[in-house]
Amino acid sequence: MSGVFERKSWRHPALWMSTFVALCAGASVASAQESAPVTSPRVTATLISDAASVAPGQTFRVGLRQRLAPHWHTYWKNSGDAGAPPEIRLNLPKGATAGEIIWPGPDRIPAGPIMSYGYENEIVFPIRVTVPSDAAPGQTLSVSADAEWLVCEKECIPEQGSFILDIPISSAGTPAGDDIGAAFAIADARKPLPGPWSAKLASEGDALALTVEGADLTQAAVKSAYFYPASWGVADHAAPQQLSLTDGTLTLALTKGQTFNPDAKAEGLLAITDGGGVTRWFEISPSISGAPAGGAAPSSLIESLPLWQTALFAFIGGLILNLMPCVFPVLAIKATAVARLSGGELREVRLAGAYYTLGVVVAFTALAAALLAVRAGGTAVGWGFQFQSPLFVAGMSWLLLAIGLNLSGVYEIGLGVTGTGQGLTQKSGHAGSFFTGLLAVVLATPCTAPFMGVAVGTALSASVLVCLLIFLAMGLGLAAPYALLTLFPALARALPRPGPWMLRLRQAMAFPMYASAAWLVCVLSQQLGDFGVLVALSGALLVALAAWIYGTAQHGTGRGLIPRGLAAAAIAGTFGLLLQLDGAATPGIAARTQASAASANYEPFTNARLAELRKEGKPVFVNMTAAWCITCLVNERTTLSTEAVQEAFRAAGITYLKGDWTNRNPEIGAYLRSFNRDGLPFYAFYPAGGREPAVLPPVLTEAIVVGEIERAGRSAQTSPQPIK
Amino acid sequence: MTDNRLKSHLADLPFDRRTLMLGTTAGLTAVAAGGLTMLTSQPAMASPQINKPAPDFTAVDSNGKTQRLAELRGKIVALEWTNHDCPYVRKHYNAGNMQALQRQAADAGVVWLSVISSPPGEQGNVTPQKANELTQSRKASPAAILLDPKGQMGRAYDARTTPQMFLINAEGILVYMGGIDSIPSTRADDLEKATPYFRDALAAVTKGEPVKNAVTRPYGCAVKYTTS
Repeated sequence: MSGVFERKSWRHPALWMSTFVALCAGASVASAQESAPVTSPRVTATLISDAASVAPGQTFRVGLRQRLAPHWHTYWKNSGDAGAPPEIRLNLPKGATAGEIIWPGPDRIPAGPIMSYGYENEIVFPIRVTVPSDAAPGQTLSVSADAEWLVCEKECIPEQGSFILDIPISSAGTPAGDDIGAAFAIADARKPLPGPWSAKLASEGDALALTVEGADLTQAAVKSAYFYPASWGVADHAAPQQLSLTDGTLTLALTKGQTFNPDAKAEGLLAITDGGGVTRWFEISPSISGAPAGGAAPSSLIESLPLWQTALFAFIGGLILNLMPCVFPVLAIKATAVARLSGGELREVRLAGAYYTLGVVVAFTALAAALLAVRAGGTAVGWGFQFQSPLFVAGMSWLLLAIGLNLSGVYEIGLGVTGTGQGLTQKSGHAGSFFTGLLAVVLATPCTAPFMGVAVGTALSASVLVCLLIFLAMGLGLAAPYALLTLFPALARALPRPGPWMLRLRQAMAFPMYASAAWLVCVLSQQLGDFGVLVALSGALLVALAAWIYGTAQHGTGRGLIPRGLAAAAIAGTFGLLLQLDGAATPGIAARTQASAASANYEPFTNARLAELRKEGKPVFVNMTAAWCITCLVNERTTLSTEAVQEAFRAAGITYLKGDWTNRNPEIGAYLRSFNRDGLPFYAFYPAGGREPAVLPPVLTEAIVVGEIERAGRSAQTSPQPIK
Repeated sequence: MTDNRLKSHLADLPFDRRTLMLGTTAGLTAVAAGGLTMLTSQPAMASPQINKPAPDFTAVDSNGKTQRLAELRGKIVALEWTNHDCPYVRKHYNAGNMQALQRQAADAGVVWLSVISSPPGEQGNVTPQKANELTQSRKASPAAILLDPKGQMGRAYDARTTPQMFLINAEGILVYMGGIDSIPSTRADDLEKATPYFRDALAAVTKGEPVKNAVTRPYGCAVKYTTS
């Protein structure tokens, strides 16, 4: 930041009242690379060129450079709720052509309830210019620009300036100096990259869900994400964007903008901050669909269903609850009672039925709300209630097993609490009916708990809306039969009689639970390999043991303190196993990368191997990467692992060394520091013959990598060769 | 579970008091926790909806009179969010565009209310006297200038920029919200080139016709809401 801004003078009201900026005459340091500045107390603006001299036919960049006083900002092409983007008109000599502004990825600049998108400190707005091919070396290329921009802190000031650059034309062209290079690097660091993913935008009511799918979108690689729509009206800029992530699928919950059009594409930038704290902007152009986008990840199993289907399934689940041994007999008794009633009493009973339904629904909503509160609290302290968390997957599989064992009759839940029935029906008054419904839910727990367990597990990984819906529909399902009976007492005759079939149904229900538990162990095996399966099955064994001991104690006489203690010890053992999983999670990823190294065409990086290869005079390409570095993963996918680059590696006999910095590794850390780097991505190419390495830019293209290899090859040929 | 135990379940109907209290407490706690979550997850602003009843407001004008939307039922109401020092507002007042719209509205019997949501100490905040002076010096003709230093009315309408315009028909339905025209600049020469969204909406509403572009992009300076 220039020293100009350290003075407090920009605070003076007279200065911000001025609506234009005087153009400083060319007395100051204009050069071929940077024009004379236009200064205000808020902005020092110049026109800069990334070439000190240009060659005929060359394409180079000019840019409007703005150095901003603290807290002042200028704007992106979609300025957000307020403000306006800068406008730049270039005047070029005949034959020269210019492109559009390459808009750097913006930051969010909130002010109370208003959100702007723009830049603070320093920014460069680059434009590509092509020199006419008939330009004569020795002459100058005169580029002038008229620019207008709005600069805001709290107040907004429109400013403008005119700039002139006279760039010498030379036969080869020369790059600009370090200061200008550093200025362009600010824009380069923010230059949007093509997002190599498929993106969908689903709308429902006021909500939008942006789903982006790609193998490199892992929980390790994406720490936070934000979608900047390219134009106003698509999404509410000020609304928070909630990120949820399963490996391979990133979802942002947005709020619909005022002119959201489901028939248009909603282009924009997805800003991803990776595990190393580096933010990159990716261009995405999501297609818009009416239904929420489905995904292959396990957690989106529920989300992939249309909302009404999810609700329907939950409703059916609620209906099934009525068939459970401690609910159904009560229902049957009520049904016979209702069937005997006459007109006047019937009306009263119907009203009671309505209040009962309300009670059930309120109880379920309260349960959902409590769960959501727990989940919000959990997220705040960093629990991941998602299926990509091995802890959650293992815990869920054990829970499902425990539920299944309960359904199979190995043990019972809270026998002291059973028996809801007639005591409640005998209560009078509508408040009584309401609380009957409320308590029916609580007191029917022994039988409903298994199903509630499943619902709870689902709700923990679903969105707030879906979670509420599931519980609401379940409540309605549970209340429906009684409500229907009060409306149509004749239905009572159609009800089957309570009997042993209820037990058989319950026992049969255990098998879907076992199946789900088995599926989750399979998920775990993909996440952590053999070790995950071992831990999951050991835990399952302990859960089964605990259930059996506990069940035996329930069936026996006496207080059964010893068996209960043993059961508790077994459960404690499973928690111990869970902690094992936590420790295992990261090595698992590392192990996977190493395992795949064998099949891929790279070797793991070590200093020893690098030194050995260089001593042999072999060319080496070094790639330092990490599972949490999104740019690294994208570079690997779009550049390093493409056929063209791999072919170039093979043709030049390059050994490809890959260092994994997912877990901090002192050897790699020291290697990076030797290049004065402390972060990723990092790429170095060591040409053949043990020559000095070239460090490649953090954002790669095939052209950059192949170009670097070819250049090294050429300079090797032109350098003095030993006489044969 | 055996058939006998099933029967014992049926016999064991009255539940004990402890369970009831436990259940009630658990239920109430859950409701309280849930309510809290709902409250904290509320978005900062509730957006007004086009073709829905406009949010009601009560605000004191620069002459000390209380203005209520409910009392203006039967009249078309225009709302203009303003901040006299904002360069975008100055563009429309310096060129006489805003005054022309206000006259057009007054001639058609439309109640034009200028709203200032800047809190004390922020740009655009004015005393009632200063508000009236500005009206005189700028030859403006709003029906009233509403002072909203706490930003309540601004937040109710989700006003984000100055200028930002709203039109409410005689039935109290919001029929237009957005910008004054289509070119977001501070240049007066753009007035001629821009599509006059608000003027068109005003003409349509006074004729009882539907508004073609009912939601447009508001552009300008951010409304300086109080952060407290």
